[in-house]
Amino acid sequence: MFKLYLKIAVRYLLKNKLYSFINIFGLAIGIASFVLIMLYVNYEKSYDKFNGSENVHRVFMDYLEGGEFVPGDANAYIVSGPTLKDEFPEIEKFVRFRRIRNMVVLNNNTPFDGMVGSLADPEYFDVFDQGLVKGDESTALSKPYSVVLSTPTAQKIFGDTNPIGQPLKIAGDDSVTFTVTGVMDNTNRNTHIKNDVLVSFSTFYTWTIFKNDWNYTWNQNEYYTYVKVAPNTNAELLNQKIMAFVPEGFEFKERHHLEPIEDIHLYSNKPYEVEVNGNGGNIKLLSIIAFITLLLSWMNYMNLSSTKSLERAKEIGIRKVVGGKKSQLTFQFLSESAMLNCLAIVLALGAVFLLLPAFNRLVGQNLGFTGNQFKGLLPYLGIMLLGASLAALYPAFVLSRFSPAKVLKGQLQTSKNGLHFRRALIITQFVATISLLICTFMANKQIHYLKNRPIGANLNQVIALKGQILDRAYDSIFYNDFDVLLEELKRNPYVAEISCSRTYPGDDFSNTNSNIGITFPNGHTDETHIWYNYGARPGYFDLMGMDFVAGGAYLPTPEKRSHNVVINEEMVRFMGIDNVNTIIGKTINFWGQDWAVKGVVKDYNHFGMKSAMVPMVIRHDRTTQNILVKLDKRATTMAGADKALDEIKNIWDKVFPVSTYKYTFLDQKFEALFNEDRKFTKAFQIFTVLAILIASLGLFGLTSYTCIQRKKEIGVRKVNGATISEILQLLNQNFIKWVGLAFVIAVPIAWFAMDKWLEGFAYKTTISWWIFALAGMAALTIALITVSWQSFKAATVNPVEALRDE
Amino acid sequence: MLLHLKNIFKWVNSGGQRVFLLKDINLEVEEGEFISIMGPSGSGKSTLLNLIGMLDGFDEGEYTFLDEPVHTLKEKHRANLYKEYIGFVFQSYHLLDDLTVKENLEMPLLYKKYKGAERKAMVADMLDRFNIVGKKDLFPAQLSGGQQQLVGIARALISSPKLILADEPTGNLNSKQGEEIMELFKQLNNEGVTIIQVTHSEKNAAYGSRIINLLDGRMI
Repeated sequence: MFKLYLKIAVRYLLKNKLYSFINIFGLAIGIASFVLIMLYVNYEKSYDKFNGSENVHRVFMDYLEGGEFVPGDANAYIVSGPTLKDEFPEIEKFVRFRRIRNMVVLNNNTPFDGMVGSLADPEYFDVFDQGLVKGDESTALSKPYSVVLSTPTAQKIFGDTNPIGQPLKIAGDDSVTFTVTGVMDNTNRNTHIKNDVLVSFSTFYTWTIFKNDWNYTWNQNEYYTYVKVAPNTNAELLNQKIMAFVPEGFEFKERHHLEPIEDIHLYSNKPYEVEVNGNGGNIKLLSIIAFITLLLSWMNYMNLSSTKSLERAKEIGIRKVVGGKKSQLTFQFLSESAMLNCLAIVLALGAVFLLLPAFNRLVGQNLGFTGNQFKGLLPYLGIMLLGASLAALYPAFVLSRFSPAKVLKGQLQTSKNGLHFRRALIITQFVATISLLICTFMANKQIHYLKNRPIGANLNQVIALKGQILDRAYDSIFYNDFDVLLEELKRNPYVAEISCSRTYPGDDFSNTNSNIGITFPNGHTDETHIWYNYGARPGYFDLMGMDFVAGGAYLPTPEKRSHNVVINEEMVRFMGIDNVNTIIGKTINFWGQDWAVKGVVKDYNHFGMKSAMVPMVIRHDRTTQNILVKLDKRATTMAGADKALDEIKNIWDKVFPVSTYKYTFLDQKFEALFNEDRKFTKAFQIFTVLAILIASLGLFGLTSYTCIQRKKEIGVRKVNGATISEILQLLNQNFIKWVGLAFVIAVPIAWFAMDKWLEGFAYKTTISWWIFALAGMAALTIALITVSWQSFKAATVNPVEALRDE
Repeated sequence: MLLHLKNIFKWVNSGGQRVFLLKDINLEVEEGEFISIMGPSGSGKSTLLNLIGMLDGFDEGEYTFLDEPVHTLKEKHRANLYKEYIGFVFQSYHLLDDLTVKENLEMPLLYKKYKGAERKAMVADMLDRFNIVGKKDLFPAQLSGGQQQLVGIARALISSPKLILADEPTGNLNSKQGEEIMELFKQLNNEGVTIIQVTHSEKNAAYGSRIINLLDGRMI
């Protein structure tokens, strides 16, 4: 019996090629998008999930901002970890990380760069559930000058020789030798705090590169601190106690605060994060889209199958007349549905495999069906099977309900209920489509707005040179050589301007100082608000194209540093001064020193377009951190830029032969700050197009159903003189009404969603009416084209066919 | 002369063979005639009627309607021609189920660009003439077969055509209702309307002034 059903199903599918294609294709699109999105969503959700991760929390600092505590810093103090552990018995262990950025490791004077390293406490292996491939976890990080390497790093430095016990040096202070004590395999680890090299924390107290920090306790927070609490600890209660806790020697301008490590990647966006984190809101939106696309494709399937079922009325009638029971018929159509769904799933999985590389490029991840990532999908497999069976049940029931007497007389059963149901499906689909369209347009508008919003500085053709000198200390000879380098660079014809600064717009947070405590010119001291500062040489403002609203840049001095500063407009507002001109020449006080304000620079976006304007002080300093080079016009072409970069590198190598070297185009780095959002928008766009495609398929199905149903009416009207365009109008006006209704429902949904999404940006584009109009028009156009395809066919049919009395 | 068919052939290709639906039909119809087409099932009666009504084409021959050569006319022109001069009556009435009697009558006028007031007057006139004013707000399903066919004829007549084409107009009716409909046709014919009907019944055919017999697509 089953074999017979299968045979009929296969023949039916082959006979109705277009219908089968649309049906299977629609389902496959839905399933494939669902799987792709969920792979991505699961990957983002899998950050910092390891054995025991539910008991691990990060300690961060809240700052008192205008009388209220706000998350101020992802770092804690060097003593935060030990102090909290002593005070709270719930805390079993802590790990501190002190980041060593741009670490350069020397193996027999061969430098290896591009690694991230940290000082880390020996409890790391336990708290983070990280084992060692080689070495002993209990001792690997206990002694000073021990290092643990990741497997790729060990491979890079030592090749195939066993790294355990090998000596290593770290650039910056090559008087000390480190010993490799362990190799950890963390390549598959999905974490917000990535490490290639771990140095035992005890090294800190004797290693000279940290000598300036040896005496700090509650005055320097540069330590990412993680605590492991006892199982079944009430984290909320502990958090309350910790927030209220004021350690000895600690001023209550700040407080400690815990957050679950599992939440950091998606939900934390504090100053001084380890890396740019993901966006939980985007992930939520994407999951919603995934479910919507899947739902749409099922609705479609139900719609198309029950529509097409009308054509099989005769088969059902005959089966019933010869004794087929309703349940048998239901089973037949159910098995047919199951076959179609299975086909779609197979097709979808094939598509996922083919599209995965392209999708990975798009979202910048390396997703696949490996181990954990696949396991994460299993719960959704249940949802998929359940949905597919429900979708299959509907047409099966509709089909088996036909009454044989009527069907065999040639009367199609076009029940009003069925039509209402299908109509509701279509309207739902269009609500989803129009909402997605509006969101896509809005997201694009926002990205466009951010891209074109004036930064307040001209980053075009500006590169930042950065490197580490490996063969000597940063002494007076170095400073002389550095000046020689600047002079040489300045003479190069490709170089228009040159200056140095500690940081620049779009650079990492960590190169900017955040401070609390400043005395205004009127003697008032603010102790509650965060403000930022960094050092730059006098030519910096000119080179960056920053405008002054009052005063000007500080002047060069023979010592190349002075107690002169330039502040931004936000700083002036922060001080409560109305007339910017009155501040010029006045003195402000911070770090226990007086500083003279020489100029007020127009507000510029230092931390990218997602952060609001912050009060900023730029100090006159002889920093050698970044050499900023404004390239000449000749370097605007691709070839010109290559030549310029070549020559600059040559000059650098001539002055500092033993060094690392890196250049960065400032405009690219600045734009990279909203790469996440751009990627998200792009993914959103693709899935919107897919959803529209699915909805159009559904509409196509319903139109053909309506045309069958109204065949006679169309014939009568045509015989009575209706033209083709009049028939088209008759058939299409309903669909226009439905799109209109869907539009009315979709607008508030989309408006609400976009309003929420825009909350994540400091600078928002307006939600304009034309976006809605455009989305509505687009949906209407798509609907009309889809519908007209069928209704035109119905309108041009010879009425004789429809009205034959037989 | 109202219409003239000259050497009309119509065929379909089935399995590589030419199957003739109509063979060498020659027919002249004067205004005011009442013609009955008779013949067994499948003899081509309905095909001929549809051809005259310009709903169906033909493969060979000439068809002149009111001195216009139908076979060379453009689709649009032809549509205008039949919109103005031809009315159809069907065996199963083909009223629109979702429209009331009044709306069914009004429907053809909508496609002929009459003004609202004109349409109202014409519908009222027709309801009055057929004595169905009391039924104007009922739906087809609420009427008897005879009444439905009455509405069907009223609809065909509403824009005053010269020619009424009726395909077994009494086929779904009982004998009494059928007689009434035929009487109505007779009366309309006397008023000057040309009528061509397809029928199986000798009795109905007798109402007409001329009978055309078809067999396997040929006039005999």
